[in-house]
Amino acid sequence: MRTSLWVSWMSAGLLLAVGLSGLAADNNTGGGQDIFRLGTLLNGTALRGEREAGASVVGMAAACATCHRRSGLGSVEGHIAVPPIIGKYLLRPHATNISDPSLPHVMGYRSTREPYTEKTLARAIREGINPQGRSLNYLMPRYALDDANMASLLAYMTQLTSASVPGVTDEVLHFATIITPGVAPLQRQAMLDVMQHFIDDKNSFIRGGTRAMPANSREIQYRVSRRWQLHVWDLVGSADTWAKQLQAKLTAEPVFAVISGLGVGSWSPIHQFCEQAQLPCLFPNIDEPVVAEKDFYPVYFSRGVWLEADLMAARLVALQASAGITRLVQLYRHGDIGQHAAMALKRAALASGMTVENRVLEAPTQKQVLEKSLHKALTGVDQSTALVLWLRAADLSGLPPSVAPAGVVLVSGLMGGLEESPLPASWRAQALLTYPLDLPELRKVRMNFPLGWFRIHNIPVVAERVQVDTYVACGIVSEMLNDMLDSFVRDYLVERLESMLSHRLVNGYYPRLSLAAGQRFASKGGYLVRFTKPTGPQIVADTDWVVP
Amino acid sequence: MIDRHLTAVGSIMITAMTLFGPGALRAQTDPSAHQHMLPTTHLHTSMIDVRLPQVVLVREDRKKVQLVAELNDGRPVILNFIFTTCPGICPIMSHTFSHLQDLLHIESTKIHMVSISIDPEQDTPARLRDYATQFAARKQWQYYTGSVEASVAVQQAFGVYGGDKMRHDPVTFMRAAPNSSWIRIDGFGSAEQLAGEFTHLVDTAAASEVATASR
Repeated sequence: MRTSLWVSWMSAGLLLAVGLSGLAADNNTGGGQDIFRLGTLLNGTALRGEREAGASVVGMAAACATCHRRSGLGSVEGHIAVPPIIGKYLLRPHATNISDPSLPHVMGYRSTREPYTEKTLARAIREGINPQGRSLNYLMPRYALDDANMASLLAYMTQLTSASVPGVTDEVLHFATIITPGVAPLQRQAMLDVMQHFIDDKNSFIRGGTRAMPANSREIQYRVSRRWQLHVWDLVGSADTWAKQLQAKLTAEPVFAVISGLGVGSWSPIHQFCEQAQLPCLFPNIDEPVVAEKDFYPVYFSRGVWLEADLMAARLVALQASAGITRLVQLYRHGDIGQHAAMALKRAALASGMTVENRVLEAPTQKQVLEKSLHKALTGVDQSTALVLWLRAADLSGLPPSVAPAGVVLVSGLMGGLEESPLPASWRAQALLTYPLDLPELRKVRMNFPLGWFRIHNIPVVAERVQVDTYVACGIVSEMLNDMLDSFVRDYLVERLESMLSHRLVNGYYPRLSLAAGQRFASKGGYLVRFTKPTGPQIVADTDWVVP
Repeated sequence: MIDRHLTAVGSIMITAMTLFGPGALRAQTDPSAHQHMLPTTHLHTSMIDVRLPQVVLVREDRKKVQLVAELNDGRPVILNFIFTTCPGICPIMSHTFSHLQDLLHIESTKIHMVSISIDPEQDTPARLRDYATQFAARKQWQYYTGSVEASVAVQQAFGVYGGDKMRHDPVTFMRAAPNSSWIRIDGFGSAEQLAGEFTHLVDTAAASEVATASR
């Protein structure tokens, strides 16, 4: 049945994106997806591929998506171009017209190859031979698939990445940004200012500066002439309602991707939404991300407080041996991002044999009440204690004037405000701040790009880190889209991020950003720093850049 | 002895056909599947001059080590560059190394297999240990990470730095002894091919030592 359909489609010369959509509904497609993405056959056993000289691959390593990627649009590794393997590139007869808008260029596509048929495709997969009878690349394994598995795989491959993509029209690319309740209006406005100016710049450049290309250069025309439109998704109410709100917003305003977002607590509901909705989400500003690097769509600049906890844990283990630190006392507020990080650090400290006391600060932020309760929270801290403060700036400024007599004081830099953390003078002399960013002196030159751009656009710098990293995120998405030409495919955007991100030199607060398949945090390390003077933002690194 | 090292004294094209018979050699490769691919069964072998940088690396057992000391401990070295989230090239090379250690039957005091990460911030010692387990690496096969700067310096010294981890090609290096030249082998050599190269290299070095001693 499928074969006859296939032949009729081919002879009719219908667009496969349309013609093969019938196969998408085939019951086998789900099975085909597991073969393609996970290397799992219909009966649940692992897919096995053989390369010559016995270099066989099994399971995930044998899955099509490992090299050809989840989108099936291929990739480039070193000097090896891994070709696209979706229907429209494999099956289209003589698709030599490179300006054909339905066949945008992707790396690795060779229009000179004869089109595949179901039969020759099966032969390519089983025997590694292309339609002209030539051998495929050494990297391509041969798979001894039976007919049922082959049919499922082909059904999946040929319909893959051919559905129309929400959030993309001929004229407009739609993006969203997500803001949770509780975000300070100043921060929100600071981020949106940057995004709106970035988008205005992009759009006005298109209208004023570039004329549409002639029709035969359509690839280029599309590349520069789609306007960007930003949708601001402000969430309200409790976190357990956010998923529903987000789904409703996505339905009402379909977007291609999410750029940036701001939140004050756990980012988990948003993370899960991105993954479930299969929506690429690039988050430069989230200090408590979800650590789930097997998830595909949410991508973060940093592990945030989780990384801080790891930086602290590394120091604690060292101090345990060298300075007799045997006890960890942590202060945090219930429900704030320090709470979960404190749990992570607790686990690490317990594992290395320390005793741990977590103390929850419950006082309101009125000065006198706060000071009293901080004073109380610090009782019993002695030289054998590592004191860790997971506190915001408002709480830090309520610390007693004389520093607690701890063996070491560690402060979450991200929560406290980095070099602006308002620690009292005697605390400044003692405390080590986690600093999972590049040092001010080292990032200075790179920061000139965004800061200069803000000045030109009269954007007040009121939340520098948020604004700079948002600007960087906008720039990254813009570059990736240029690189994708007209292939507006959500999975492909994430794949381009994975392979292209490390090419950037201007990374705002971060020394470098880099991803790969299975990597979802672009910056991996940080410093411990200390203040050099009783006042002012001068800090000095106490460590090299550490990747814990 | 570094003066004696020659830069690219010559290159030898070795084909699977000549070494292992026609069965190992596939038909012509498909240019439509790749653009600038080295023919897979052709290995390009050259002698190269490597000035090892004075860098500290971190071994998969978390120990900080000097690269120079690690490579100059007297054992012959077989070396490659990998990263643990690499999709295509590295798993093949690691598989080849895994098979190679079986073929060579050499105890750990007689050979040092070295894999250096080109994505060192991601490839923590713990991730390298997992990766090593995946390829059944034995005692003589060790993995190294370190700072980005250190990894780049080593890649540059071996002439394989492409500016980014995804711009890497399949290359294997080997050296018979601390004072001898490095051999660079470009392409996906099979374990048998690499074993052949290695045996030849070590035998030649031993023969030249004997010749020098008897002179």
